[in-house]
Amino acid sequence: MAATEGEEEESPRFAPMISFDRDRHVTFLEMMYQLLPRPYQTQEINRLTLAYFVISGLHLLDALDRIDKIVVANWVLSFQAHPRNKDEINNGQFYGFHGSITSQFPPDDNGVLVHNCGHLASTYCALAILKIVGYDFSGIESEIILTSMKNLQHPDGSFMPIHIGAEKDLRFVYCAAAICSMLEDWTGMDREKTKIYILNCQSYDGGFGLIPGSESHGGATYCAVASLRLMGYLEDNLLSKVTQSSIIDVPMLLDWCLQRQASDGGFQGRPNKPSDTCYAFWVWAVLKMLGGHRFIDSRALHGFLLTCQSKYGGFSKFPGELPDLYHSYYGYTAFSIMEEPGLKPLCVELGITDLSVLGI
Amino acid sequence: MDSDEELDTVPLSRRPEWSDVIPLPQDDGPNPVVPIAYKDDFRETMDYFRALYRADERSPRSLLLTEEAINLNPGNYTVWHFRRQILESLEADLFRELDFVDQVAKKNSKNYQIWHHRRWLAEKLGTDAKCRELQFTRRILSLDAKNYHAWSHRQWVLQALGGWEDELNYCDQLLEEDVFNNSAWNQRYFVVTRSPVLGDLKAVRESEVSYTVKAILSNPENESPWRYLRGLFKDDAQSWVNNSQVSSACLKVLSVKANYVFALSMLLDLICHGFQPTQEFRDAIYSLRASDSDPPESDLGKAICSVLQHVDSMRANYWMWRKSKLPVTM
Repeated sequence: MAATEGEEEESPRFAPMISFDRDRHVTFLEMMYQLLPRPYQTQEINRLTLAYFVISGLHLLDALDRIDKIVVANWVLSFQAHPRNKDEINNGQFYGFHGSITSQFPPDDNGVLVHNCGHLASTYCALAILKIVGYDFSGIESEIILTSMKNLQHPDGSFMPIHIGAEKDLRFVYCAAAICSMLEDWTGMDREKTKIYILNCQSYDGGFGLIPGSESHGGATYCAVASLRLMGYLEDNLLSKVTQSSIIDVPMLLDWCLQRQASDGGFQGRPNKPSDTCYAFWVWAVLKMLGGHRFIDSRALHGFLLTCQSKYGGFSKFPGELPDLYHSYYGYTAFSIMEEPGLKPLCVELGITDLSVLGI
Repeated sequence: MDSDEELDTVPLSRRPEWSDVIPLPQDDGPNPVVPIAYKDDFRETMDYFRALYRADERSPRSLLLTEEAINLNPGNYTVWHFRRQILESLEADLFRELDFVDQVAKKNSKNYQIWHHRRWLAEKLGTDAKCRELQFTRRILSLDAKNYHAWSHRQWVLQALGGWEDELNYCDQLLEEDVFNNSAWNQRYFVVTRSPVLGDLKAVRESEVSYTVKAILSNPENESPWRYLRGLFKDDAQSWVNNSQVSSACLKVLSVKANYVFALSMLLDLICHGFQPTQEFRDAIYSLRASDSDPPESDLGKAICSVLQHVDSMRANYWMWRKSKLPVTM
């Protein structure tokens, strides 16, 4: 390290690396797998999500051999909320996976105590990790997860993430759809209501807001389109069809998404906002699902993302900043869509490696 | 809480009022994945939180502890939830709780839990909270005019508690400060389509079109008013095609011969929806062609796509595809 310091001073501070540096990224994720640095303590409630970024990231980088799959599977399963008996499934709680063990206690004399509660995003991340490590899903009591998940859906079709109440928006609609899709069982939601809620979120400019009336946003647009795809409401490669009749306004959505590529080559999440690594995934994934990904300038995007690649591995939100797990993961997924050599192909709808391509 | 309270770091274990509590450490299990390098004060505060939470102690000191835990760990929804349970059990003054949230939000205005808590309070306080919530979101938006959470909360306040009267003026004010603020344009759309004091969108449409065209002509490269203009005619393409303010705005931008990508794009959409361009439009478009040596395209839609392919090269493939999808001309 000391030997290279002199060289760094001579080069411009933010000089981008010339290519995607897979090995550094693997090292970065391995370090995160061993110990997350202190700044992550404020995200401890989403520990499964942090684990998802690390493990799915290693999978995309074709480096899953760095982890012990059985240890990971058992660790993930330890986060599952279990009802004491079958009757409890309908008591209003969600028996999915806890976000963390920060308030998970050993069982008391009466049996299991559910002090923390199942959370939709954590459940999505838990199932995604279990898929990645090849866990046999017949061992998951999907009926308990799905039946109790219905308690989280509101009459307008939206989902809240935990039964104790929280904001309801498209993020959790997406999580619910991804959970049903991974468990191959759609009894966990009222699909028709969910669809209507999503359609109500399409804004006047063609993008989707997180809730009806709110501003179009790259992440919300991903959640909307990916959910509709998983639910079977949007066909493959929509744009190639001669008649583009669809339940959403596709031409305006396409135009909105394409306009998110800014002059620096990166993608912004909303009009007139700066480019940010993660929207390379959120927006480009939407274009990929519509069949319009070839309409962007992928060379310019490639160039932008490399300015966000850290010399320590990982990606930052903006050029030249320190990397973080979230932006690193969406940097990897973007490079996977770009078909970067050495990266596994992505299932854009589920946000994990395309397991069917791998024959898993 | 004052900012210098952070300097007050007497560990909980050395405070006499906590001497009867046995802290409950987190059980990370035998093989933890992605363990976190907690800081000592963080770990200790959460250990005491766990002890009180498990004992379900809804006391004034628990309320104080959740405050400390929230300051260190504002994303932990269990802590917030327990705080709400305590507030209810103690029948606490919820206006004072708003003061607490004001203070936490200064540092964490992009945290979902804060906004959920705020909404829970506003729901309990009802219309008494209306002015305060509109003021609160105004203050957050004065620091970051695009804060998504603040906008969502504000929209909820308007719909649930009211306060629409001044909202269009507020949008005016924000757009005067920054006409590129897309969140303010979105709020404007929210107001003109949903405000009970304005009535139907059609009633305000012409004046909104004038307002938007003015914004376009001063900054034709600004995407936001172009999208808004189109939005004013949502589900009414015929009125959009027939509106002379719309097409003449496009023409004015083209004639300046700078920053005309959005004008061309809208003109292309207008033509696809049946707009019949006059010779004036044709002349304006043909004068933008890259060079006279290009083969002249008699189809105006194709000519527009060719110009866009050249000047908006990042999306050249898109404009090429649009060209291939144009309806066959008569």
